[in-house]
Amino acid sequence: MTKLMSKKTLAILLALAVISPLGILVVWNFSEAWGEWGSVGNWVPWKVWSAPLDGYDLSGWDSQLMASLGYIISALVGIAAIILVTYAMSTIFGRRSIQEENK
Amino acid sequence: MHIPDGYLGPATFITLFLVMLVIWFFAFRNANKNLGPRNVPVLSFMAALSFILMMFNLPIPDGTTAHMVGAVLIAIVLGPYGGVIALSIALLIQALLFGDGGVTAYGANVFNMGVVMSFTGIFAYAGVKKLLTKDGKLTSKARAASAFVGGYIGIVVAAFCGSVEFGIQPIIAPGYSPYGLDVAIPAMVGAHLLVGIAEGLTTAIVVYYLAENRPDLLRLPKLSPGWLRGVYKDVEPTESHEGARKERVPVEAKGES
Repeated sequence: MTKLMSKKTLAILLALAVISPLGILVVWNFSEAWGEWGSVGNWVPWKVWSAPLDGYDLSGWDSQLMASLGYIISALVGIAAIILVTYAMSTIFGRRSIQEENK
Repeated sequence: MHIPDGYLGPATFITLFLVMLVIWFFAFRNANKNLGPRNVPVLSFMAALSFILMMFNLPIPDGTTAHMVGAVLIAIVLGPYGGVIALSIALLIQALLFGDGGVTAYGANVFNMGVVMSFTGIFAYAGVKKLLTKDGKLTSKARAASAFVGGYIGIVVAAFCGSVEFGIQPIIAPGYSPYGLDVAIPAMVGAHLLVGIAEGLTTAIVVYYLAENRPDLLRLPKLSPGWLRGVYKDVEPTESHEGARKERVPVEAKGES
């Protein structure tokens, strides 16, 4: 049986999720990474997709405290989604080796 | 380094999607052979780690930010195709749930941060590793130094690729990203010359920790094309997972053949 993840590694990810707001608080007054996130000057690119947690934030949660909370929630949602997708993918691919090792 | 929608014209993003289809074919065919109970948990951990590393925006003195990626670390532990697959998963979730990186630019983003970064990083890692191997032995410190160079070169070259994709738009696709190569290259490569230090250090620290404490994890089966197998010769997979766990001999003791 494939183990999803050990407790220790999950703890590392959760710890990083809890301190993840540092990733916005440290750079609160900085502008965004060049070329990321929408408009540059007065040129605005078109949008084709509206993400449920756009910008790792819940709409309206704008203060540093609420944005940090939204960031942690986003980190947790993202980690959970990635573990699920990886696991689902591994049941499709890697079948041969899984069967061999389970003998 | 995530390219949003609307910056790349159709010619660029469709080309990169097609390139990715070919690379995904090889990567998943390889995964079908080498992905098993031993490395699936590590793959999901690495994909999630990369996702969260990318949330730590680091300040750049010019007033902008940039972030680490982690692809070279993944490539060292799981092989370059492992880096491609982990980044494909992380970037998919980022694009769909968080709007970080465009949906149309998904192929381009996986190409830059998954493919270019994993492969150039692993080449740089292998090159330095070869230079630092003495009498067939590589110390953990030397391995960490190789990992630093791999991470640094990997993220800088990936940023360069992204900036070229941005920069050619005014020439081939007017109406999309308005900034030419003269603006895009200094902006993106400049920021990543700095963030590369953080990327290199993180890669080096984790690789050092693994070499000293969990060499069994460095010996996991690699998702790597045959022509790159030589890079991982010094950490050949051991016979069984349980055996590897109990063994815990630092990888340096095995030396390079």
